Amino acid sequence: MSTPTATAPDRTVSLREVGPARRGTRPDEVVIALSPAFAGHFTKTIVDVPHAEVLRQLMAGIEEQGVTARLVRVLETADLAAIAHTAARMSGSGISVGILSRGTTMIHQKDLPRLSNLELFPQSPLLDAPVFRMIGSNAAQYAKGEHPQPVPTRNDQMARPRWQAKAALLHLKEFDCIEPGRGPVEVEAVFGPGTAG
Amino acid sequence: MTSTRPRQSLRTEILESRPVNLDGFVEEWPEKGLVAMESDFDPAPSIRVQDGRVVELDGTERADFDFMDTFIADHAIDVASAEASVAIPSAEIARMLIDPGVSRGDVLAVSRGLTPAKILDVVKLMNVVEIMQGMQKMRARRTPANQGHSTSARDNPIQVAADAAEGALRGFAELETTLGVVRYAPLVAIALQVGGQVGRGGVLTQCALEEATELELGMRGITAYAETISIYGTESVFIDGDDTPWSKSFLAAAYASRGIKMRFTSGTGSEVQMGNAEGKSMLYLEIRCILMAKGAGVQGLQNGSISCIGVPGAVPGGLRAVAAENLVASMVDLECASGNDQSFSHSAMRRTARAMPQMLPGTDFVCSGYSSVPNADNMFAGSNFDTDDFDDWNTIQRDFQVDGGLRHVREDEILAARNKAARALQAVFAHLDLPSITDDEVEAATYANSSNDYPLRDVLADLKAAQSVMDREVTGLDLVKALESAGFHDVAENLLTVLRQRVSGDLLQTSAVLTADFTPLSAINDPNDYAGPGTGYRLSGERWEQLKKLRHVTSASNPETEVG
Amino acid sequence: MTSASPPTLNAADYPLSINRPELLRTPTGKPITALTMDSVVSGDLSPADLRIAPETLQLQAQLAEASGRPQLAANFRRAAEMTAIPDQEVLAMYNALRPRASTAEQLAALAERLEGTYTAPVCAALVREAAEVYARRGLLARPEAGGDADAGAPAGSPAATPVTTAATAAAARADREEGQPA
Repeated sequence: MSTPTATAPDRTVSLREVGPARRGTRPDEVVIALSPAFAGHFTKTIVDVPHAEVLRQLMAGIEEQGVTARLVRVLETADLAAIAHTAARMSGSGISVGILSRGTTMIHQKDLPRLSNLELFPQSPLLDAPVFRMIGSNAAQYAKGEHPQPVPTRNDQMARPRWQAKAALLHLKEFDCIEPGRGPVEVEAVFGPGTAG
Repeated sequence: MTSTRPRQSLRTEILESRPVNLDGFVEEWPEKGLVAMESDFDPAPSIRVQDGRVVELDGTERADFDFMDTFIADHAIDVASAEASVAIPSAEIARMLIDPGVSRGDVLAVSRGLTPAKILDVVKLMNVVEIMQGMQKMRARRTPANQGHSTSARDNPIQVAADAAEGALRGFAELETTLGVVRYAPLVAIALQVGGQVGRGGVLTQCALEEATELELGMRGITAYAETISIYGTESVFIDGDDTPWSKSFLAAAYASRGIKMRFTSGTGSEVQMGNAEGKSMLYLEIRCILMAKGAGVQGLQNGSISCIGVPGAVPGGLRAVAAENLVASMVDLECASGNDQSFSHSAMRRTARAMPQMLPGTDFVCSGYSSVPNADNMFAGSNFDTDDFDDWNTIQRDFQVDGGLRHVREDEILAARNKAARALQAVFAHLDLPSITDDEVEAATYANSSNDYPLRDVLADLKAAQSVMDREVTGLDLVKALESAGFHDVAENLLTVLRQRVSGDLLQTSAVLTADFTPLSAINDPNDYAGPGTGYRLSGERWEQLKKLRHVTSASNPETEVG
Repeated sequence: MTSASPPTLNAADYPLSINRPELLRTPTGKPITALTMDSVVSGDLSPADLRIAPETLQLQAQLAEASGRPQLAANFRRAAEMTAIPDQEVLAMYNALRPRASTAEQLAALAERLEGTYTAPVCAALVREAAEVYARRGLLARPEAGGDADAGAPAGSPAATPVTTAATAAAARADREEGQPA
């Protein structure tokens, strides 16, 4: 059954803008790039994993490798490859994790062509908290110059009938949140207590 | 889950647990194109022709044409008849489609001049039964057929050969494979070709890959046709796919220049899925694809939403639109391989219902990929039907006396074909100095259901061998030689006859397949001549006797036994 | 090949492999009836013997025309011209026609090569038509973008759309059927 639900107590996150995003200089950082509607217009992924939990797991996965996570919001595109590649070029290590509101995630590296990537997790309905933690951990290992085993990808043939149309809908909504001409902004995650969701 | 949820009735609990409620459903959003076929944002039909050139199409002036408009105006629409055809009231054209007194040719004389918006205007008037009536008459080939997917979750060539043989024996006229690990392609394509010809001589095979490799395997005679040439209904999505109508037309001619049958692929929902529907309904955009294919001069189209079926499947009237897109392909005289080829629903009832508008009237290929392996082995991400459904499919054919292209085959015949296919591949591998296939693997193939039932292969050795097949430029001719020298004379003859067909070009014509006696059957020599009750393709005679057979049928003469 | 003018065919001649085998020859000049198992075993046949000849494609074009399918006939005529072009060059020409892959000059040169080297005027006309539309729709290559491996990649690439699993641009466009949902 492909119905992962939130695994942690619901919590909330809001993103506070702290200014235009800039290129990092620390070689031990991974930039997490968030799509226009992430933790804003939307609050959870396609399978209801709270964005707060997604961020907490990604950051924990990065930090447990001794690497720093920096958050950036990309506003002028909802194209995952563009989001992730933009962030990779701003990352001191050249490594980024890009994520769309519905959960689709990609690990990118600044020297790769934009349409390539290090790891892609296209089936957003199959991404749960432990997977996000592993993605964070792998991104940090790439940042350290290591060659981690790719996070095992899962496949569910029945994801199509259950999630394809909702994914399209979320994609369209995310497009509506694009702010053309606005460059990436540095953001801080402000985690709050859970509210019943 | 908290305890504050209001109490549910026991009946609601049961309904909540029904598989259909695992399917996804969404509201329409016409402004973004998330709507099946009824949208205020679709253009109204119009056409103006000046000096033999379309200067206005569906409300757009030539200067403002995007490349889809331009291509359709210049290649798909018959300018001589366009203004007259578009002037015919849509209701009259819709009636022509279902009127048995109007022949298929009469409809084609009108449809060749229609614009995308006009075609949409026509099919919007038709309910699903009328769409099926139209399909019954407009299908290009008189005799319906079916296509199977033969793949392996482990890319195991022996499995692919055995399942191809069984699939061919059960009746698939075409077999398609693809890969998990793309580098395995040469070995799996060889397995499909050899296995297919064991099951039934004349089966056509293809291997879905990126364009260059797919074309190369075809050029070498390792595959016989191709269909995974995707086209899209908006300029922006077409460009996202890194193609244009002109590049795809060039590719279409490239296939024909090598004697290889080819069809394009499109389907409702792909544009909105990619976020660039330009505010048009799914069916309007699909009609543009269909006319683009027509203009390119490709003989046919795989449509019926295909891999985006979850999108029209989730909106109101979505399956009516999917049935309509198949009809439109047929009513502009293209071969139609009509979908039913992707995992569609958790509900068995809904899966069956989804196929009826194609199965009951018959299409050129009712499924453009019925999984002739268990869905867990289906590397196209699962089909609407798989091997578990064989007996259900056969029973539905018998219940309604319709030909869905398959038949029940006795166990001993199936085992013999699977065994022979595995042995034939064993011989071919040995002859070509590829990693050996053991007798244990042959034995496993004979009785297996899924890839889990086979000994594991040495994948690295296979991949190395696959590369050597490409480097050594192994061709279909080498397969013939290998089969002949190993004593599989009949299989060798079958394959040689299929290869010889490309020299004749007969399979390039619309809706062509090869019968078991190697007669090319196409819209030219088997044209759909439906003209009302008692005419057209009727399931009768020897074929009907075949379809009366099921796994368990009680004998009338001795009810203590079963027949067959 | 003889220089006799090609026969006039109609739908009743189809299938040629059964009704008119005497008209069918390989590009190497062998009659189709020479494609026997004996000739395979004796090594008399090469892969070139199993290709379609341009004359055959012209015959099939006649049949398509006679069956009311002018676009299909036109496709066969382009195909007849293309039989002369080597496999790798056919693929290179196809790639040159992709959006933003070629400049106006490159497309003009491609059309000239088709016409001059391969006597392929129908294919050349298709390329010239494409060049005209590409110019109008902004789909010609931007000369300065040549060095970037990513040049010409469209915004809103399929890699990040819900349907696609592919990790590279090539795989992303390979086939919608291979796409994974969501």
